[in-house]
Amino acid sequence: MNILLVLIPVTLLVVIVAVWLFFWAVNHQQFDDLDSPSVLPLMDDPAPEEPAPEPPGETGRSTQ
Amino acid sequence: MSTYAAWAHPQLAAQVLRPRRDGCSEIALRVESLNDARQVLWLEQRIRALPGVRRVAIDRPAQRVRVMWDAKRTSLPSLLDHFAAANCPAQPLQRDSIDDARSHEQHDALKRLLVAGMCSMQVMTYAFVIYIGVVDFVDFSTRNLFRWLGLLTSLPVVFYSAQPFFSGAVRELGERRLGINLPVALAVALVFLASTFNTLRGGGEIYFDSVTMFVFLLLGGRYVELRSRHRSGALGDAAIDATPLLAQRRRADGELETVAAIALLPGDRVHITEGGTVPADGVLESAGVRVDEALLSGESHPLRRERGERLVAGSVLLSGPAELRVEHSGATTTVARLGALATRARQARSLVAASDREIGRFVARVLVLTALTALGWLLVDPGRAFEAAVAVLVVACPCAFALTRPATLTRALGVLAGRGVLVTDGAALTALARVDYALFDKTGTLTVPQLDRRAVEPLRGDTVEQVLQLAAALAHESSHPLARALADAARQQALPLHAQSVQVHAGAGIGGEVGGRELRLGRADFALAPGSPPVSSELAGALLLADAQGAVAAFHLDEQPRVDARRTLDALRGDGIATTIASGDNATRVAALAARLGIDDWHARQSPADKLERLQAARAHGHTTLAVGDGSNDAPVLAGADVSAALASGTELAQAHADLLLLDGRLDGLVDARTVARQVQRVMAQSRRWALLYNLCAVPFAAFGFVPPWLAGIGMSLSSLVVVVNALRVGGDAAPDHSDASGPAARPRELRA
Repeated sequence: MNILLVLIPVTLLVVIVAVWLFFWAVNHQQFDDLDSPSVLPLMDDPAPEEPAPEPPGETGRSTQ
Repeated sequence: MSTYAAWAHPQLAAQVLRPRRDGCSEIALRVESLNDARQVLWLEQRIRALPGVRRVAIDRPAQRVRVMWDAKRTSLPSLLDHFAAANCPAQPLQRDSIDDARSHEQHDALKRLLVAGMCSMQVMTYAFVIYIGVVDFVDFSTRNLFRWLGLLTSLPVVFYSAQPFFSGAVRELGERRLGINLPVALAVALVFLASTFNTLRGGGEIYFDSVTMFVFLLLGGRYVELRSRHRSGALGDAAIDATPLLAQRRRADGELETVAAIALLPGDRVHITEGGTVPADGVLESAGVRVDEALLSGESHPLRRERGERLVAGSVLLSGPAELRVEHSGATTTVARLGALATRARQARSLVAASDREIGRFVARVLVLTALTALGWLLVDPGRAFEAAVAVLVVACPCAFALTRPATLTRALGVLAGRGVLVTDGAALTALARVDYALFDKTGTLTVPQLDRRAVEPLRGDTVEQVLQLAAALAHESSHPLARALADAARQQALPLHAQSVQVHAGAGIGGEVGGRELRLGRADFALAPGSPPVSSELAGALLLADAQGAVAAFHLDEQPRVDARRTLDALRGDGIATTIASGDNATRVAALAARLGIDDWHARQSPADKLERLQAARAHGHTTLAVGDGSNDAPVLAGADVSAALASGTELAQAHADLLLLDGRLDGLVDARTVARQVQRVMAQSRRWALLYNLCAVPFAAFGFVPPWLAGIGMSLSSLVVVVNALRVGGDAAPDHSDASGPAARPRELRA
């Protein structure tokens, strides 16, 4: 049964790491939008309906 | 020159931008045209690719985009230009929209839920060792070790995940009422303390697995409820953002231009028409006016303000017009406006969540029942007293019962906001289901007045354009729908005239000086000076422009019923509501419209007081009344009705007194609201019956010790989930087909297109 003395700390460690990862994901808005990512695989074509016009904002306006 | 260049002004930018310590800026934008998920992704990628952009968060239901970026690398106007270039024009929202309380709350709940889930699974494995150990070979010291492990892993659940229950219970006790958090907190604390005690003692039953799973399931139920509440809230926010406060600013050349109130700067001169909202704090620069500050202070009497006195943003002008010099702009100002409309709509949502008194009584009974169970078992079999008492406490907890009202109403408010009806008073929805008498205003509500050029009849040899300009100068100062129609008709041409010393006489007409001539605009009895020659009888119904010598021109305004008026009225009548028109207009026109709309009960030449009297008579006969109007003169009637609805295109004063706001000038929102109100009643009654039935059935089993605490936890969470899911049915089945035409906010089904 001595293997328990190793395995139990390992399970605790796994839980702590999992919780830490999950907190990181939540804090970085990974769970905020659950609808859009489902269409992500369909997005490889460059946005058909927009002809991607040159943004007018880049006409050298002072950025200060 | 970009249309967004104005936002480069540092004072304007300061109202919408929030600087961060690392040099970046944050902004919240309203973006209307986010129709499908692909567009959202595409916009996000595009904005993220701009230089200096750190983070883009798009909240599609609320139609809001939050951007965090380095304003030194991409200026605010050029950021807005990029949104426009992506076919998603963005309107900056004021600074306090940046903080997203919803996502904070949601992140918090999600974290607590996950910690509870992970830890409860761990505790479960440890508990299994102990259970198996009873029959198997696990020795005593190992079993003890697992008890300690169970205690250790349930610590985060009790002290982190279950913390909202404890703080909720403390808050409820502080407010001297019994809420649903109390039984939950009590159950968790009791079970945890007893188990801890047994662990320290080294003997007896432990329930760490039950308590952690109980917390996990409960948090799961609450999370589902939170998400659906937030979704409804987002829809409401989108509807509120869609009606920004506008102001008429006087340019250097004296012309008026319409700008968003948030874009006003100190020193700007603003023109406010009668019935309009004061868009910013400032000093009155014209003659004295009467204002209504009911929205700000609750003071319902009109107040008099003289030249040089200050007007507070958010107050409504009762007499007008007024000229204002802006003192403070932006954030301070628009907060006042929020006091008017947005906050009321938001309050309606939060009030809904407040628990009612029934729950307090319910909880008190649960506590008594728990004590009785404990007492009974102590007499019979003290060993089982604790377990049975905890099971009763958990099973009988009225979580599902307490959820019915908030869950159902929140869903209803969200659904209605999505269909263009903004509810500012949640209780009105309950009353709407009982309404059986509806009083409609005519002009502006059931009809849209329009002026055709050919219907302008100059009587003293002027050209059509000349008289139209004279009349429009006066009409511009009033918020009455007829005056608006006239002003709209004249707007196509240049050469505008300005009226001086204008007096608006509510319900009668407008008088003032245009180009040195004393003119009056209104019905014949008001417009014609005493002693001037009377006009022929066919002009009696027309709007007259007259000076001291007599009539100058007649305007034959054509009133078309709104496209959805007939349909709406038919639907309401089919629903058993008696419909009535009460109008200030003359009998011929009211009768003609009543005939077109199929209304038998119509009343002409009604003053606001007459209308109110009519409404009160109906109430005295036991009717539940609905009043629908749009103008300032409808305000008393709206305030006096059980349920009031105003068109958002109407005056601010009417909106201030209305429980329901119909956006986009759509009357059929009333039918939607009625349908949803009925559904709410049905669903709520159903959920309550279910919750009570569940409690009644489960309590005896728990009291006799047949229900272990973990099973009680599952039952409780499931019954709450049933209520939440049931609430989602509101607005779900068979949405009326006409509402599909042009919903202001896209609904989920359309998003899949």
